[in-house]
Amino acid sequence: MFGYVTPCKMELKIKDYEKFKAYYCGLCVAIKNNFGNVPRLALNYDMTFLAVLLDSLSEDKRSLKKSNCVIHPLKKRILIVDNKALNYSAFCNVILAYYKLLDDVDDKNSVKAKVFSKVLNTYIKNENIKLQPVKIYIKDRLNDLRKIELSDEVKSLDEISHPFADLTGYIISFYYREKSFNQSLYWLGYNLGKWIYIIDAWDDLEKDMHINKKGLIHSHLNKKGLIHGQQKKFNAIDASLNKDKLQYKEFAKLIEDRIDFVLTTCAHHSLQYLNKLTLNKNEDLLYNILQLGLMEKMNSVFKRSEVNNERPL
Amino acid sequence: MRDPYEILDINKSASRDEIKRAYKKLAKQYHPDQYNDNPLKDLAEERMREVNEAYDYLMKNTTDSFGSNSYNTSYNNNSSHNNSSYNYNANNNNHTSNNYQPIRMDLNNGNLHGAEQKLNSIKTRDAEWNYLMGMLFMKKGWHDSAHNYITTAYNLNPSNIEYRNAFNQLKRQNHTYRQNYYGKQTRDNDMCDLCVKLWCADTFCECMGGDLISCL
Repeated sequence: MFGYVTPCKMELKIKDYEKFKAYYCGLCVAIKNNFGNVPRLALNYDMTFLAVLLDSLSEDKRSLKKSNCVIHPLKKRILIVDNKALNYSAFCNVILAYYKLLDDVDDKNSVKAKVFSKVLNTYIKNENIKLQPVKIYIKDRLNDLRKIELSDEVKSLDEISHPFADLTGYIISFYYREKSFNQSLYWLGYNLGKWIYIIDAWDDLEKDMHINKKGLIHSHLNKKGLIHGQQKKFNAIDASLNKDKLQYKEFAKLIEDRIDFVLTTCAHHSLQYLNKLTLNKNEDLLYNILQLGLMEKMNSVFKRSEVNNERPL
Repeated sequence: MRDPYEILDINKSASRDEIKRAYKKLAKQYHPDQYNDNPLKDLAEERMREVNEAYDYLMKNTTDSFGSNSYNTSYNNNSSHNNSSYNYNANNNNHTSNNYQPIRMDLNNGNLHGAEQKLNSIKTRDAEWNYLMGMLFMKKGWHDSAHNYITTAYNLNPSNIEYRNAFNQLKRQNHTYRQNYYGKQTRDNDMCDLCVKLWCADTFCECMGGDLISCL
């Protein structure tokens, strides 16, 4: 579910590219300082966007530092240090990663997730009291999502994607909860969260439907519906729109435009809400991400793009 | 508002029948259906709105021997023929739209919960109901549902300008958003491009016996 919100590198100015990298490295170091070295593995681009966005609304000055990095020992990197937005993003990153892992444990019975979530848990014990509501909110919303996934009732795509969208809106707006632009931030997050959730479901659709098909065949044999200890996979798009139980190819062709519409609308709205905010810095970078980065990602997921093997920044 | 008589292009002494006739003629002329991909579409829509306003105004303020009764019956006749935007205007005089007025107010004031409850309690699900449902979901950020309801409203009553606008708006905003990205990709105007254009221009000039750039 992570790593969809990235800048469109080709349209970035070098300074913005460097800025994004500095936030990325800064987030990594913020995780190290706040939690420890192991949780750094959970670092992702979506949370870098969160840091860039939240920092752009603050009037504090950034402080940059050049330093070495464990993973890239040869080159010195520029990174942002002592930044409140980065610390908050680091917290959200680790907590979200932790609950995602717990989800995987329930979902796939994955041993790797089990071990890693146990390890991660030891790192998040002594966290900030002020951020406790965020943790509880994340937990509750992901529980809601879990309930929807487990129920047999057919729900609409909007209903299924609501908990995650709401969660994202909450995380983004919590940081500025006392400010007047809090609602704009919430709706920016809501639309972006929905976008992330749906594009992820679309990206995984083929794989999930394949697993379920296999599961269906196997369930006749072993009655449990388990294939190699793996349960039936929930996919929001399959669950909400595939009423006739079509095969992947037919189904994908049928709903492609509809999914494309929803995604583009979400992206468009998040951009509209960005327009309402007064940005103190990072303006070009943020517009690049919400205007071009999302579109580029959609093109690659819908296989419309010219580039086939894109590497991350 | 401009003089309604002037908009409908009729005499000040025109009877209700004449007003109706003039309105129908103009409605046909400016009907947005005819301007699907036409650049004049916005203009036509605006004119249509003016015509609608003028007609509404005159219908409310003109009394002659026919009275409002005959007006209502003529509305019913027309709706059975499924007669386009005329139908929509008459809708305002129809009693069902009164039920929707408080819901519209709720939507405008941001009382989404109230609007949703009221909408769910309504049994007859006509075009207006679908439209308001779509508006509600749009405000909630439930774009997929919003799109479904607005499409239904539009299909139930394609001639209603409000539904049509909402329907087109959904399409248009995505188009603009996409254009931002594609516009950037195709706009590769560099020096090479400029040189080729100059060279072409020069070649054409030379064909005609002149010369644009002497060294080429």
